[in-house]
Parts: sequence; structure tokens; C-alpha cells
Amino acid sequence: MEERVLRRLVIKSFHINDVKFSEKTFIDIQNRTLYLRKNCIEEFISNEEDIKQAKLSIIPKDGRDIFVNSILDFSPIATKVLGRLGEGITHVLTGVCGMLTAVDEEGVQVAEFGSSEGILSQQVYFNRAGTPKDDDIIIHVDITLKKGMGTVRKGPTACHRVFDKVIQEIRNVLKKVNGRLCDERHEFIDSIKPLKKKVVIIKQVAGQGAMYDTLFLPNEPGGFEGGRSIIDVGNVPIILSPNEFRDGALRAMH
Amino acid sequence: MGVGPSTKETTLHHFRDPLLDVVSKDEDIDLVGVMIVGTPQENEDKYFVGKLAAQWCEAMRVDGVLISVDGWGNSHVDFANTIEEIGKRGIPVVGLSFVGTQAQFVVKNQYMDTIVDFNKSKEGIETEVVGENNVTEIDAKKALAFLKLKMKRGGLK
Repeated sequence: MEERVLRRLVIKSFHINDVKFSEKTFIDIQNRTLYLRKNCIEEFISNEEDIKQAKLSIIPKDGRDIFVNSILDFSPIATKVLGRLGEGITHVLTGVCGMLTAVDEEGVQVAEFGSSEGILSQQVYFNRAGTPKDDDIIIHVDITLKKGMGTVRKGPTACHRVFDKVIQEIRNVLKKVNGRLCDERHEFIDSIKPLKKKVVIIKQVAGQGAMYDTLFLPNEPGGFEGGRSIIDVGNVPIILSPNEFRDGALRAMH
Repeated sequence: MGVGPSTKETTLHHFRDPLLDVVSKDEDIDLVGVMIVGTPQENEDKYFVGKLAAQWCEAMRVDGVLISVDGWGNSHVDFANTIEEIGKRGIPVVGLSFVGTQAQFVVKNQYMDTIVDFNKSKEGIETEVVGENNVTEIDAKKALAFLKLKMKRGGLK
């Protein structure tokens, strides 16, 4: 019996060597440079009642000996160009990723089961699947929540929402980059392989409450908007296709 | 107790998950999907969702299950229970978890005989260094090798 193809996902990567602040957000693909609108974060927090202030910065690869607040997340910068999550075409930037850190206005770190504030170069094990590579540029969003907001669910949720808006600002221009100019192209196929051993992967994810939430199937790869909370669906098992998972179906809301 | 900085899987980790990568590339495996199950607060709910997860495995007629968790302590209650529910149904199951010295299982059962401990720290502890105690390609390969062995021997005795 032959393998049956169910769906196809193409991930195209574009390598970035430099990230700079600018008047508007755009990608200069010839020079491998990402320009980021300098004051966008002010706009993104204007309606956030639980956030006191937020700072957007660019951390070069040799600039990691700095103090950072507790790390909530590292995020890929990827966007759907064609189709929904798990099929079609996705564009992703390599050489750069996002980092979210947060604290409250009284200096309480936004963390629950141990926190990771400290010198960035010492608080992260780089080059893992879930952390930046040695030569990645990090787009850093640091949020100061109002007093006590780090321990209720809506505090960390607001941090992720703002962080995602920054990434979306980049996604919107990444969508428009000519796919033929990609550096790498990977094709992934969801298929049925008859007569082979059938295996399922189960990922037990956080779903207890504040700082312990997981979103699935957002609109964009690894995104926030459109994602359903595992808490809100009662923590019951959900099945995703391998390609949906690979296309950023999960967002860690720690 | 739950998910600490060194064990937590970031969004970036999920996006390029080594476990998915290894299993989906294996020509001998028909990967039917990735199941996400939450970790509720209440014990009653933990048993409820664990049983539902096992019921899915049974209904899908899978030959084997790889179950991974990025938390420990309290999260191990869910982990042990779900493994037991799957094992009871005669389905071979292999787990991946941070154990080290600090996170010895609070509960155990007979189906937890093949657990890949992805602790990477020297002292076997939650180091608060992000990404340190995460699943890597080697852990994933180890887990899949265990599962292949278990599947060869068959589930129900």
C-alpha cells in the first residue's frame, strides 16, 4: 500500500543579519536588514490598563551581558502567506527572534515556579530548540505591569498580547517579501503510511492558571491572536496534525 | 509546583520541536498526530483529562504513544496518571520528563518503566537557566528507540 499525502506545508526562511530602528517597519531583503518602527510599542500599550510601561530594544549578538527581567518567552518571527496553519506557505525570519520579559512596578518578577531574571548571557542556555542561537539578534520586549498584576491571569496575558503585536508588525511586512528570494525552502507532508507503526505524540502542557496557560491554533505561527486557551476548553485533549504543530500551533503562555 | 524556567518549552521550542522532528522523519512510523492535553489544578480534573487522552489513543488504534511533559512536581501527578491509563489499555507508552535529583516522581506505576529523563544540569536541578533542561534531538531519538522496542514486544500481555 502506498503512502497517502494529506497536505503540504512549505516553510521558506529568510536570513537577517541586522535589525535597526526606523520610521517605519520594512525588510530590505538585499541587505538582509530588518527595520522596526521605533515607537510602535507606545501605540500597542495605549489600551492596556494593566501595563505601566513597555520598552522595545534590539540586542545584538555580542550584547548579551545585560540585566533582563524574568523571561516569559522566546518567539519565532513567522507568518502565513498562503493557507491556514499547517498547510500552504509560511515565511520565517532566521538570525533573529523575539524575547518577552516582565516585572511589576514593585519589582516583583513575573514568574511562578522560579524566575529567570539576571544577566542574559548567563540565564539562557543558547542554541537549544527553544532559545536563540549564538549569533541571533534578539528583539526584546520588556514589560512593567501594574502592582500585583503578574500573579493574576490577565497580567501575563496582556504581556503576551503586546509582544505579539510587535511580532505582527514584522509579520505584516514579512508576508510581502518575494518568496523566490528565500534562503531555504523546506517542504513538510502530512501523510498516512499504511502498514507502519501508528504513533501519537502527547504533549502535556500548562493549564493551571496565571503563568500556566497554553494557546493553540492562533492565526499566525506561534502567535497570540485567535489562539484558544487550553484552560478555557477545560484542559481536555486536542488533536493537531503534525504540520499544524510544526507551523506554530502552540503558544507557551508561561 | 509546575513549570520552571529551565524546563519550560518556549513558543520557539514548539515551533521547532525536536520530538516532532525525529518522529515525523522516521520512515517506520506513521505519526497520526500530536495530542495536546492540559494540566488542570484539581486532582479530579487531572484524572478526568488523563482518561480522556488514553481513550483517544485507544480509539485511534495507535501502536504506541510518546508522552512528554515540561513541568514537574504537581504536573507529574497528571503525567503518571495519563501513562497509567494508556498502559492499562495495553498500548506501549514511553515518557519524557525532567527528573534529575530534584524532581523524582511523586507517584509512580508499573507502566513508567521507560522514562527518558531530559535533565541536563550537573546537579540534576531546576537551574533557572532558560532552555537548559529541555528535550533535545538525542532525547527524542532515545524515546523513539525505547518505544520501538516496546512496540516490538507488543502491548497486552
